[in-house]
Amino acid sequence: MRFMEARPDGRAIVYAHIQADPLVARAAGLLAGATTVQRLLARAAMNGESTDPATWRTMFPTLFGPAAPAPGDPVRDRSEAILQASLLVADRGEQTRSQFRGAIVEALTERLLAERAGPEPVRRERRILFDGRPAEIHPYDVTVERDGAGEAWDCKWGARGIKADVLHQLDDARRGAADENLKLVVGLVIFDARRSCEVRLVREKGPVALDGLKLIALEGLDRLAGRRPA
Amino acid sequence: MPTIVADLIDRALAGFDALAATAEPVADELQYVTDLDTVWRARLRAVAAARGTEPAPPGAEAALDALVEEAGRITDPHRAIDWLSTLPQVALAALGEGA
Repeated sequence: MRFMEARPDGRAIVYAHIQADPLVARAAGLLAGATTVQRLLARAAMNGESTDPATWRTMFPTLFGPAAPAPGDPVRDRSEAILQASLLVADRGEQTRSQFRGAIVEALTERLLAERAGPEPVRRERRILFDGRPAEIHPYDVTVERDGAGEAWDCKWGARGIKADVLHQLDDARRGAADENLKLVVGLVIFDARRSCEVRLVREKGPVALDGLKLIALEGLDRLAGRRPA
Repeated sequence: MPTIVADLIDRALAGFDALAATAEPVADELQYVTDLDTVWRARLRAVAAARGTEPAPPGAEAALDALVEEAGRITDPHRAIDWLSTLPQVALAALGEGA
């Protein structure tokens, strides 16, 4: 089993500009230390219509209401910063914000994995090659490249992004590693509720054995960092 | 008379129905929309069954009104599908419930 750089195609070159936008890193940094409800705020606001922050503050009373931490409290300040960053994403226009959201989930995954594994083995957009097997064309979004403890993650904004081809590719990598007597953790990181992901997985799985696939949903993102969910 | 949790669940379900109607033109995702409807409606109804007569938590009524209004602004069917997952999560959070 070998990890290698993916050859960038036209789409990847355009997408790289999105990935490098400071707003992506800012949002990912804020979300890495966020609670589940703060992450849910980001999910809603980044894909909403309203751009008035007051609307979103009303919608999330546990973050901004009378019983929430007061302004100046770090938790409250993070909620405000997440809201501000999310509305900046929402303001980018339909196609661009869709790309931003995907890039943010990938950057968030990278940060959380680096918290557990250290930054060196965590890589982006990598292919995995196995002896005697045709290489998959599409790279894995985030990998952890360590001897005996490799990981390959695909990241999606919503449960709807779970599709049969994605599951097949992850399962193929897991089986390829097993054929070489190596362990490779494969999984999906979905910025959406586990309940929605599970119904999607059941319909899309086809012949893929789901017990070999990890699912990290919005409520469990801290597990990527080796933390208990906040 | 204070607003109770069951009233707010009813409002959330009305918003959910509106989103489902907006999502309807995406024929390829009809099964997924149906599945979301099944699991989230059941989750919301379970909260109503357990806590329906409780007074709504502070801020929850305004939160649900803002949420349903936001859902009503969604006109793109693809975004409505995404919101079929988002709306119940936000409603549950406003009521102090996990997804």
